[in-house]
Amino acid sequence: MTTPLIKAHGLRKQFISYKKNPGIMGSFTSFFKRSPLIKDAVKGFDLEVKKGEIVGLLGPNGAGKTTLMKMFTGIIVPTEGELKIIGSNPWERDKNFRKRIALVMGQKSQLWWDIPAMDSFLLLQKYYEVSDERFQERIKKMSSLLGVEELLHIHVRKLSLGERMKMELMASLLHNPEVIFLDEPTIGLDLVAQENIRHFIKEYHRENECCIIITSHYMQDVQALCDRLVLIFDGEKGYDGTLEDFEDILGCDKSVTFSFKESQDPNQQIFQGLDATWNEDHTGVELRVPEETLCPISSKIIDQLPVEDFATEKLPIERVMKELMNNPEILRARKEKEARV
Amino acid sequence: MTEKMAHYWDVYKKFVSTSISVETSFRTSFILLIFMDFFFFFSSIGSVSFIYDHVVNIGPWQKDQLLFFLTFMLAIDNLHMMIFSQSFWEFSFHIKTGQLDYVILKPMNTIFSVFFRHFRASSLFNTPLFMGYLIYYGIQVNLSFLDWTLLPFLIVLSLALLVVIEFILSTSMFWLTDGMGINFLRMQMQQLGRWPNFIYQGFIRKVLTVVLPILLVGSGPVHFLFDKSAWQLLVTMIAALFILVLVLLVTWRIGIRRYDSASS
Repeated sequence: MTTPLIKAHGLRKQFISYKKNPGIMGSFTSFFKRSPLIKDAVKGFDLEVKKGEIVGLLGPNGAGKTTLMKMFTGIIVPTEGELKIIGSNPWERDKNFRKRIALVMGQKSQLWWDIPAMDSFLLLQKYYEVSDERFQERIKKMSSLLGVEELLHIHVRKLSLGERMKMELMASLLHNPEVIFLDEPTIGLDLVAQENIRHFIKEYHRENECCIIITSHYMQDVQALCDRLVLIFDGEKGYDGTLEDFEDILGCDKSVTFSFKESQDPNQQIFQGLDATWNEDHTGVELRVPEETLCPISSKIIDQLPVEDFATEKLPIERVMKELMNNPEILRARKEKEARV
Repeated sequence: MTEKMAHYWDVYKKFVSTSISVETSFRTSFILLIFMDFFFFFSSIGSVSFIYDHVVNIGPWQKDQLLFFLTFMLAIDNLHMMIFSQSFWEFSFHIKTGQLDYVILKPMNTIFSVFFRHFRASSLFNTPLFMGYLIYYGIQVNLSFLDWTLLPFLIVLSLALLVVIEFILSTSMFWLTDGMGINFLRMQMQQLGRWPNFIYQGFIRKVLTVVLPILLVGSGPVHFLFDKSAWQLLVTMIAALFILVLVLLVTWRIGIRRYDSASS
C-alpha cells in the first residue's frame, strides 16, 4: 500500500478579527474597544492524498480552500489537528520539506515585478540549488511547453496576465517538487490561456508523476485535470470522491435543452418544477429532468410547443456544483445517510 | 557548514544582482538617491561644524573627535542603507499584503530571506566619500596602527548591533501588521545613536545603553579607540549583541508562527 504524501486529520484553523462600525465614530470606538470575532476558517478537516494523484479542492469563496493550502505549505500554523506532508510537519519549515513542495497562487506573485522573469528564475536556481545543466534543461522544456521562449527576457510588468501566470508556474516548478499546490492558477485568464495552462499541468504531471492539489472556480479545470474531487463548505469537507460519483450526486437527472420557433411564456405549467433556465428572448430553455420522466416530459413539450431543436445530456458538473453551493444541506443529508449505511 | 555558507553567499550574490537590475531600471530615481545620500552626509557634517564655530568642546570632545564619531556613524549608516534599509520597508509591506508567503516558502533561513533581500546599489556610489571622510578624521585624531587595524571590525560589530536591534523591533510587525510606526521608531532610534552617549544623562542613558543598547553602537567603539581603558563598553557591546541575537531568534520564531497571511 502506498503511503499518503498528504495526511491531514482533524485540521482546524481559527482566525480572530474584529468588527468596526463605519465612519469616524466607529474608528474611535474600535480604537479603544474591540469586540473580537472568532471564525473557524477550517474545522475538523481530514484528507489523504497519494503519490501521483491530482485532487481538485472546490468550494465557494471563503470556504477555507486557500487557508488549507497555506496550512499544507507551512505558511500558517493550524490551530488544532495533525498534518504531515511528505512525512514532515509543514509549520516546522524544514529546509528539505520546503525543497520538495511548490505553491502557485493565482492572485499573488513570486516574480520580481521590475526585472525579466529569467532573472527571478536565476535567483530561484540558487535558492533551490539546481545545477546549471538541470536548470537550462528545465527552462527549455517548460518554456517550450508553455510557448513562452520569447518572453523570458521581458520585464514581468510588461507581460499579460496569462503570460505572467505561465512564468509563475515555471518559477514554482524549477526545482522539480514532489507535491504541488495550485491555488486558482487559471483565475482571470482567457479561454485559450486557461487551456494552455491545463495542458501544461497535465503534461507536467504525466512526466513527473507528482502529486497535485488544485483549487479553482472553473469546473473545466477540474474536469480536465482531476481524478478526485474534494468539496469544502464553510470549512468542512462536504464530499470526497471521484468525478463520476460527483456527477451522480443529485441522482440521475438529465439536462434537456429546447429551442423554440417563437418566444414562450416561462410561467407555463409544463415547465414548473424542472429548474428551468431561460435565454434572454425566451426562445430557448435548459431543464433538469429526472431520468425516469425524461421521455414523457420531452414528448409533451414537443407535442404542445413549437420545438425547433432539442438535446439531452448528463447534468453538467457546473449545474451540480451550483445546486450544492445553493443547498449544502444536500451533502449533509448524503453524509448522514452514508454514515447510517 | 562551509557548504551552507557557500549556498547563502551564492543566494546573496543573486540578491545583489537582481536588486541592481531593479534599481537601474529607474535611472532618475537611482541618481536622485545618490544625491539624497550626498546631501544627508554634508548636512550632518555641516551641522556639527557649525556648532563648533561657537563652542570649543561638546562634553569631553573637541571638533575633530566629534567629527570622527559622526563619520564613523555615517559610515555605518551608509552600509545600513546599502544592505538593509530597503528590506525593513518591504517587510512591513509584505506582512500587510501577504506577499511574505513566498518568502516563508523558500528553503533558507527566513531572517536572511527577509532582511538581506534588497540591496541598494545607489548607496555604493557614496561609500568612497563616507569612508574617505572617516579616514580623514581618523588621521586628525591620531589613530594608532592598532586602531586602524581594529576599525573595520568595529564598524562591522556596530552595524551588527544596530541591525539586530532593528530586526527585533521589526519582529513586532507580526503582531501589529502595519509596520509604518515601527519603521519610524527604528529611524528615531538611529537618530538617537548618531550622538555620543555623554549627550544623554541619567535614566535615559541607562535605558539606551542597557535595555535597548542603541548608544553602544557608535559610542562604544569610538570611546574605546580614543581611550583603551573604556574596554568595558566594547565587552558590553559584544555581550549585548550575543544576548540580542538569542532574543531575536526566539521572538522571530514566535512571530512567524503567528503570521496569518493576508487573504488573496
